Parts: sequence; structure tokens; C-alpha cells
Amino acid sequence: MRKIKITLRVLALLIFGLLFHYVLPQHDVVKITSTEIIRTDFSALNRIFYAQADSGATEQPTRDLRLINTQKQKTFLLGFIPRDVSTVMVYRNEDTGWIWPPYFKFDSSDLQAEAANLAKGDEWVVITHYGWRIRWASIYPNAIAVRTVPGPDVSIIPWFNIVFFVFLMVAILFIRAMWRQFRERSIDPLLDTAGHHVDEVQAGMAERKGRISRWLGTWRKKDNTRTPSE
Amino acid sequence: MQFVRLVVFGFIALSVIYLSISLYSRSVRREWLEKEFDADPPEGADDAMRDAYIAKGMTEYNNSIRPKLIGLVYVVPIVAVSVIVYVINTN
Repeated sequence: MRKIKITLRVLALLIFGLLFHYVLPQHDVVKITSTEIIRTDFSALNRIFYAQADSGATEQPTRDLRLINTQKQKTFLLGFIPRDVSTVMVYRNEDTGWIWPPYFKFDSSDLQAEAANLAKGDEWVVITHYGWRIRWASIYPNAIAVRTVPGPDVSIIPWFNIVFFVFLMVAILFIRAMWRQFRERSIDPLLDTAGHHVDEVQAGMAERKGRISRWLGTWRKKDNTRTPSE
Repeated sequence: MQFVRLVVFGFIALSVIYLSISLYSRSVRREWLEKEFDADPPEGADDAMRDAYIAKGMTEYNNSIRPKLIGLVYVVPIVAVSVIVYVINTN
């Protein structure tokens, strides 16, 4: 039972951890090298890792996908520890529109224009994105915004994520308080009443048993010093 | 269409949160009133007096601004979404 509990907790932590890692914004320091558009045929495997057709357009089984090719500074520990190594990274650039995740991004074309502009120069930019690059399934992170920075060694404070996790903690504590109040005021009184009934029944049975054993005791020898309660 | 879906499901989700918070807030207030009465009951206090005291306290609570503030549950997410739409879609 204990093992099942621990397993379930670890599983829940893992699922939520992966979900947050996928959905929350992350920042990469990159140089944009080029932009391109490829025709994409989604499969059942990778469809959920893409958003939708441009906001206001209609969804087709196949469509064009905007990509931003970059040279990215590698990091350790989700970008907290910078490194002097770079790699390539490709971002998709799709409208999230009014669907999940709630970035409400409608300006993919503008972002693509910005990226194309930055690709001409040699500037360092911070690219805000969510999602994963999974090569064997052709899945790309979705770029949300770009801004230029002076150099590759900028320190980025993830304000949104800080606020998000503080809010999450407050929400969890609040839900816990609500649940405890509900249990104390609504469930426990019901259980108490039920428990009281059980107690009454048990007391009645004990009383009847006591009477029978007392009656049996009258048939025992007089020198038996045992009391019926024993 | 997606916008309509967001509005409909968002409204349902926020209504669930609104109802839970208002029930919780009322429950906390009632418990507080009960404890306040029990801590210092007046001379010759009986159940009727206790009920009247709690009913009076709950009426005061209902007329105060606190239950109306729970309506912010609807306002804050709309403001947050508007801010996100603005921040994300301006260069």
C-alpha cells in the first residue's frame, strides 16, 4: 500500500514536471542564421506537438510551417549554467491562438519578419519559446518572441516562471485549506453520526452478552471467586 | 470558434472555482462565529440564542464586501488574458 502510494506520487510529480517543462516559457541565447518554410505532413504521433493553422485560417491535414534556424549557446540545468559550447537549434513559429498552451500568440508572421531581419546581421538574441526538440519525430519548440541582447553572456531572470510557481504554491495551499475545512465541517460530522450508531449497536450487544454470562455464573459453584466480568 | 470554446469552458471552470471559494468562505465565517459564541456565551445561553447569533453574523457577512470580492475570480483571469494577448503580440 505504501509502495503504491509512493509510486503514484512519483508518477504524478513526473507527469506534472514534464508538462510544466513543455508548456512554460524558456529562454535561449542564439544567433538567428536563417528562416524557412517547409511543407509539413503531420502524423498521429507528432500532431499533438504542433499548434494549428494560422489564427483565422482553416485547418488542413497538410500545411506550411515557419521555421527559424539558429546557432544556440548550450547550457546546463535548464539554462541556469551557461557554457562556451554552441549547437544548432530549429524553432517552429506557429500561432497558438486561443488553444492550448495559453500563449495567445497571433503574430507568427511578424515574428518571422523579425527573425528574417535578425538573420541578416550577426546579433545575439534571446528567443523565448516553449516545447521540445525531438528529432526522431520531427518535433520543434515553438518560438514566442525574440529580443536582441548585447552578448552571449546575459543573465536572464525567468520572471514569469517565478510568479507562476509562487501562484501555484498559493493555489495548492488554498485548495488544501478548502479540503480540510470541507472535511472538518461536512464529512467528519457524518462519520461521527455513523460511528455513534455503530457504538450504540456494539454497546447493546456487549450488554446482552454480559447478561448471559451473569446468568451462566449463577450455575457455577459458590466457591468460585471469579466475577462475571472476568 | 476556438474563442467561443475558450469562453464557454473558461466560464464553466471559473464558475466551479467561484462556487467552491464562496462555500469555503461562508463555512470559515460560520465556524468563526460559532467559536466566538462558544468562547464567551452570555448568561442563560441556549441553542436558539446561538442560532440567532450565527444567523445575524451570516447576514452581516452577506451584506459586507467580502463575498462580492470573490467575483474577482472572473475579473482577474480576463485581465490576465488581455495582458498576455497584448504583451505577446506587440513587438
